[in-house]
Amino acid sequence: MSNVIPDVALIDNSDERAPLVLVLDCSGSMSEENKIGLLNDGLKTLEAELKKDPIAARCGRVLVISFGGDNNVEVMGDWTDAMDFKPPTLVAGGLTPMGAAMRCALDEIEAQKGQMRTAGVSYKRPIILLLSDGEPTDTWQQVAADCKSAEAAHKVNIMPIGIGGQANRDILGAFSAKGALNLSGLKFNELFIWLSRSIQAVSRAATGGTVQLNPVDSWAQIQT
Amino acid sequence: MSWKVFLASATGKHHLDGNTPCQDAVHCVQLDAGFVGVVCDGAGSASQGRQGADFFAGAVSERVAAALRAGNLEPGLTGDGQECLLDIIESAREELGQMAQVQNCALRDFACTLVGCASSRAGGFFFHIGDGFAVHRSDSGQSIVSRPENGEFSDETYFVTEGNWREHLRITPLPAARSGALIGLMSDGTSPFAIDRGRTGFYGPFIDPVVHFLARASARDGNQALHQVLASERTYGITADDKTLLLALAT
Repeated sequence: MSNVIPDVALIDNSDERAPLVLVLDCSGSMSEENKIGLLNDGLKTLEAELKKDPIAARCGRVLVISFGGDNNVEVMGDWTDAMDFKPPTLVAGGLTPMGAAMRCALDEIEAQKGQMRTAGVSYKRPIILLLSDGEPTDTWQQVAADCKSAEAAHKVNIMPIGIGGQANRDILGAFSAKGALNLSGLKFNELFIWLSRSIQAVSRAATGGTVQLNPVDSWAQIQT
Repeated sequence: MSWKVFLASATGKHHLDGNTPCQDAVHCVQLDAGFVGVVCDGAGSASQGRQGADFFAGAVSERVAAALRAGNLEPGLTGDGQECLLDIIESAREELGQMAQVQNCALRDFACTLVGCASSRAGGFFFHIGDGFAVHRSDSGQSIVSRPENGEFSDETYFVTEGNWREHLRITPLPAARSGALIGLMSDGTSPFAIDRGRTGFYGPFIDPVVHFLARASARDGNQALHQVLASERTYGITADDKTLLLALAT
């Protein structure tokens, strides 16, 4: 007897979404050492990585928020399914309104969760990735406290990451109970490949527990 | 009446790509005119999730089967029967907790979900903690299901290893089995392509050819064929997770 069962049809009920907000520093200092160019390249890597995995392409939901200019926070387009994600071209210049950008990210996450609940779509715990090479030029203390509260209430997973030696790791670390990591050697590509794999991950964690993303690898600078 | 039981686990694409083993486990004990089956899904967030899944699938199904044989678990699972099931799960937790200590681990390092079924001549029940799915389809086609419990986020669930496991143990009574009935237990890697969109029962075009084949198959051929379905590359676009399915056909 053959061990192949003929005519088996598979339905596809996997409606899960993985929301991701990228909060990106576009202040003037990002033009030094071509950091902004490397960040733009990294975003293209993220696009390619998300699109080459059929499940990440379908379940990823991406929003880009940039901050810079004259204390400007810009939501760059609407929430986008990863399969349709086209990274914006970021331009560096101006100040570092990190507090306002993170407030915007928290608000966008809650609004997006509300929309998905209304639509009956299940979702993973959202991730906010904050990238900066400096320190805020606006008031950030209350927002940082609210970010930690949101993490403690298991609403979101926040990853602050410093770029280069001038990043204020203490302030970045105030946005998450986990503290901040430093990007090693401007390895934006490695960071975004890791991020894409975190979205693809299938692991389950205990409800209300600490989210465990994939172990950070070559992009993270080990503090000694 | 007797049960023909088939079971298979296939490693998901995520673990295949990472060259890591399947985190699911399945175990079944056949009884006179009944069976006990348990599917466990080891938590990817736990260092010993696979070992936890193996342990709980084996220990809980064997002990529930022993209690059924001894007459300590009645099919409707009321009163003393529920206490007996709680005691069985607690004793398994304690045993693994002691083994974990020897390995300098904690019980939570062995985190896994658990979805099980006990079926005897007079009836049975599902018992379920966390995600995964269980379906009983009667000979007339009506389904009783035990759905996953995830909380707000789909990548979080409840584990038998957690201190509050009793709050998340869900018991679903099942009727006395009749010839033509079908029972399925599955991990959350299988349900996205095997359960209908409304989550009311099996997806017919999936399960009907499978049951048609298994009804005529030996245990060995049936298990191999079921594994081929679960391991099929066609599943890769739907889930990257490990896939386990236990199917019991009442004949």
